[in-house]
Amino acid sequence: MSETLIDVHDLSAGYGGIPVVRNLSISVRAGEVVALLGPNGAGKTTTLLTLSGILQPISGRVDVLGETVSGVKPEKVARRGLSHVAEDRSLFFDLSVKENLRLGLRGDRNERAASMEVALDLFPALAPLVDRRAGLLSGGEQQMLAMARGLASRPRVLLVDEMSLGLAPIIVERMLPIVRRIADETGAGILMVEQHVGLALSVADRGYVLAHGELAMEGTSAELRSNRRLVEESYLGGI
Amino acid sequence: MKDAIAFAFLGLGAGSFFALMATGLVVAYKGSGVINFAHGSVAMYAAFTFNYLRIDGRLRLPWVDILPTHQVNLPVQITISSGGKVNVWLAVLLALAMSALLGVGMHYLVFRPLRNAAPLGKVIGAIGVMLYLQGVALVNFGSENPQPKSILLPDTLFKNFLGFGKPMPGENLGLFIMAVLVGAVLWFNYKYTRFGLATRAAAGNEKGAVLLGYSPERLALFNWIIAAMTAGLAGVFVGSITGALTPTKFTTLIVPALGAALIGSLSSVPIAIAGGVGIGMIQTVTSTWMTGKSWFPDWLQSGATDAIPLVIIVLTLFLRGKSLPIRGNIEERRLPLSPYPKRIGWHVAILVPLGVVLAYGLPGDFVFAGLSGKWSFAFMTSLIAAMLMLSYVLLAGYVGQISMVQLSIAGVSAFFMARMSANGVPSPQDPFAVSGPGLPWPIGATLGIIVAIAVGVLLGIPALRIRGVQLAVVTIAAAVALQTLYFDNSKLTNLMAGSNAAVPPPTFFGVDVGSTGPRGLTDSPKFVTFCVIVLAAMCVIVSNLRRGSTGRRFLAVRANERAAASAGIDVARTKLLAFGIASGLAGVAGVMTAFQQQQISSSNWVYFAGLIALAFAYLGGITSVAGALIGGMLTGSGLISVFGSHQSSGLHTYTPLIGGVGMILTAIIHPSGQAMLFQPLLQYFGRWLKAARVPEWLVVARRLGPYVVLGLALGAIGINPWRTDEWSRPWMMLVGVLLVLFVRSIVVRIRSGGHEPSSDSPAEVSA
Repeated sequence: MSETLIDVHDLSAGYGGIPVVRNLSISVRAGEVVALLGPNGAGKTTTLLTLSGILQPISGRVDVLGETVSGVKPEKVARRGLSHVAEDRSLFFDLSVKENLRLGLRGDRNERAASMEVALDLFPALAPLVDRRAGLLSGGEQQMLAMARGLASRPRVLLVDEMSLGLAPIIVERMLPIVRRIADETGAGILMVEQHVGLALSVADRGYVLAHGELAMEGTSAELRSNRRLVEESYLGGI
Repeated sequence: MKDAIAFAFLGLGAGSFFALMATGLVVAYKGSGVINFAHGSVAMYAAFTFNYLRIDGRLRLPWVDILPTHQVNLPVQITISSGGKVNVWLAVLLALAMSALLGVGMHYLVFRPLRNAAPLGKVIGAIGVMLYLQGVALVNFGSENPQPKSILLPDTLFKNFLGFGKPMPGENLGLFIMAVLVGAVLWFNYKYTRFGLATRAAAGNEKGAVLLGYSPERLALFNWIIAAMTAGLAGVFVGSITGALTPTKFTTLIVPALGAALIGSLSSVPIAIAGGVGIGMIQTVTSTWMTGKSWFPDWLQSGATDAIPLVIIVLTLFLRGKSLPIRGNIEERRLPLSPYPKRIGWHVAILVPLGVVLAYGLPGDFVFAGLSGKWSFAFMTSLIAAMLMLSYVLLAGYVGQISMVQLSIAGVSAFFMARMSANGVPSPQDPFAVSGPGLPWPIGATLGIIVAIAVGVLLGIPALRIRGVQLAVVTIAAAVALQTLYFDNSKLTNLMAGSNAAVPPPTFFGVDVGSTGPRGLTDSPKFVTFCVIVLAAMCVIVSNLRRGSTGRRFLAVRANERAAASAGIDVARTKLLAFGIASGLAGVAGVMTAFQQQQISSSNWVYFAGLIALAFAYLGGITSVAGALIGGMLTGSGLISVFGSHQSSGLHTYTPLIGGVGMILTAIIHPSGQAMLFQPLLQYFGRWLKAARVPEWLVVARRLGPYVVLGLALGAIGINPWRTDEWSRPWMMLVGVLLVLFVRSIVVRIRSGGHEPSSDSPAEVSA
C-alpha cells in the first residue's frame, strides 16, 4: 500500500470561528485521484483551502505530506510539495504565460527546464502562447495555465478546485484525463473538487460526497457510480 | 533655443534626485501597494546620518530615549569614530544601512499591520512615519542645519558643455549617471529575476503567490528595504546640491518625484527615471529661461516651477483614468462606520454654554475666571482647527475623497479676505499696507469663502476620475502649487517679501470681537465666543447634511461609486457638491484663522501642515463631527498639547514624534479614531455611574484597587527619583497608576485571547 499523503481526521473548518465543514475525515494516497463531490455550499472549497493552509482548522487533525498544517503558513505548506489550483485560478494577469510558469518552477536549472518542458507537454495548447499576457488568455487557456503552473513545481500533492468552472464540456473532457495521467506518471496524490459527477468519477479512484459540511458518502468510483441515485439525493438535500 | 537646452542640462541634478526618489516610490508601491509619503523623510534621515558621521563620527539611531530616568537609558547614539570624522565610504555604507533599517521598521511596524487597512489608513500611516522621522531628526540632530557635504561627485565645471555656451557642474552629470544605473539595475531585477517576478506576481494576485510558495510579506519586506535604500542614496548623494539640511527637507521635493512615479504608472522604473529627469529639466528651463521671456505672464513668475508637477500629475492621472495598477486580492477594510448624529440640539445646548464659560469664566470670577493668555489662544486654535477638520470629515469621512489641500483652501480664503479688506493706508501696525478695495469684513470674508469654494470645486474636478490615494497625490501637488502660485506670489498678494498681510479685527454693530483681549494679549473672550458660535453652526450644518438625503448620497458614493450611480445618484455632482461644501467650511476656518492671527503669512498654510491636520482629524475620528471636535482639541498648539507642554517643559520638542506614533497606532489599532473609542466608553460609564451603588464600587475596588496602590507606590518611589524633567510629583504617581493599569489591560487581553472589535465586524462593514 502506498504512502498516505493527505490525512484528515475529524476536521472542523470554516470562517471566523464558525465551522462550515464538520467532523470530516478523508485521506489521499500517492498515485491516487480522489474526487470531492457535493452541491454548492457543501464545504468542498473550504476543505481545500484548509488543506493548503490558507484557512486554519478550527479543530481536528490535518496532516499533509506527513506533517500538520495547522499553524503553518500557506507558503510553507506549498514549499513542502503541495500545489493548489484554486477555484479563481489565481493567475498573475500582468505577467506572461512563461513568467507565470517560471514562478511555479522549483529546483536547480536543469530540473526547472525539465519541469517547464513537462508542463508544456501536458498542455501543448499553451506552447504558442508563452509570451502572451495571462490576462489576455481565454477561459480554457487560463485554466490550462493554472494547471500547468500547479504542475511545474512537481508537486507530490495536487489540489484541483473546480477545474470545469466556466469551461465548455468538451474542454473539460479533454482536461480530466490529464489529471489521471499526472497521477499515474508522477505518483502524485490528487484531490479534486468537481461538479461534473460523472466525468469526475470516470477518472477518479475514489470519491467523497459532502453535504451541508458533513461527509454523506464515500467509496470507490465504481461504488459511487452504482449508487448514482444516492449521490444525486445528497446533492438535492435528500440525505 | 540653444539657451533653453543648456538650461535643461542644469536641471539634470534635481531631475536625477526626482528620478531616484520616484524609483523608490515605484518599488515601495510594487512591494506593498503603499504610496509612501514618508519617502522624503527617509532620504532626509539618511542625509543627516551621513553628514553627522562626517561631522562628529556618531551614528544616531532612529528613536529617542523615552525612559524618564537618568539611570536607565535607551541607547540613541553609537560612536563609530571617537576622533571625529568617519571615512566617506564607511559613512555612505552606514547611511544606507540606516535607510535599510528604516525600511525594515516601516514594513514590520507600520505597513504590514496596515496591509488590509482602508487606503486612508495607509496614507495616515505614511504621514505618521513622516512626522515621526521629522520628530526624531529634530531631537537627535538638533536644530543646527548643516550644509551637506558633497561626495564623490566630480568637482569639475564644464565651461562650455556640449557647445551650448553655458557652464555645467560635473556633479549633475554624475548624479544623472547614478540615477540611470540604479534604474537599470532595478529594471533588470523586476524584469528577469525570480524575486522581481514574484514581486510583480504578488502585486497582481497575492493568493496566487502564496499558493506557489512565495510569502508576500517577505517580498514586501525586501522591497521596502530596496525602496528605503534608494531614498538613502538620493539623500546622501543629491542632498549636497539642494541646500542646508533640515528635518523637513525633501518633504516638498516628494511632489515632483510622485509626479514622475505616476508617469510610470507606479510600475515602470525606466519611465519613472525618465519622468523624474524630465520634470527636473522642465522646471529649470521654466524658472531660468522661460520666465525671462517677455511673453511669459508676469503673475506666474514665482509659481510656475511648482505648478509643473501638478499639471503633469493631473494630466497623467486624468488621461490614464483607472489604468493604474491596483493591488489584487487584498481584502481591504472600508472606512469606519459614519455614525448617525443624534440629539444635536442637546449637544449644542451643553457644549456652546460650556465654551462660553471657558471663555468668560463663572459669574463672580470666584471659582473659574475664564481662560486667558496662552490658554485662551490655545482654545481658539483648537476651535478653529476643529472647523478645518469638519471639512475633512465631510470630504474624507463622508464621501471618501482623500483631499490634502483643505488647509491651502483655507489659506486662499484668508489671503483673499486680507486683500479685500486692505485699503492701502499705512498704519503703525501695518507699515507696508497693501492696496485693496478696503471692503468691510463681512463682505471680504464672504468673498474669501466664495473664492475658496470656487478653488475647491476646481480642484475637485480631477476627483471625478481620480480616486483614493491618487487623489491624495493630486491634492498634495495642488497644495504645493497654491503655496507658490498664490501665497508666496507678491504679484497677487502685493506683499513685500517676508511681510505679512494684515487683517483688521471683525466688529458686530460697533462691538470689537477681534482676538485682542483687554490686556493686549490674543485672548479676547469675545473672540472665543465668536469661534464657539461659528463652530457650533458649522457642526449643526454638517450633522444635518449627514442626516439628510445629501448625506445618504455622500455615503453611497463613498461605499461604491458604481452602485451609487446605478441607484440614480449623480456621482459627479455629488462629489463636486462635497468639494464645494468642504471648501466652504475650510474657507470659514481660514477666515477665522486670519482674525485670530490678525496677520497672515504663507507659512500658515504650508502643505504638510495640511497633512498633519488631516492626520489629527483621523486621530479624532474622520467619520464623525465629534471626531473633528476631538481632533481640534488634540491638534498641535491646541488645548491638549499646550496642557501637555505646560506640565512638562521639554515636551514640545517631542510633539511631532508623539503625534507620528499616535497616528500610526490609531491607524493600526483603532481606525475609527478616538471619537468612536470614547463614545461607547462614556456611554457605558455614564450608565454604570447612574446605576452603581456600594456593592458595585466594592467589586471595582477589589479588582483594580491593588493595581492602583501598586501604581501609586511605583510612581512615588519608583519613577520619581529617576525623573529627568521637572515634572511635579503627583503627576508621576498618576503616570504610575496609568502605566500599571495599561499593562494590566494588555495582559488581561492577551490571556483571555479575545480579539479587539475592529471595523470589519459585520455591523460596521454594512455601512
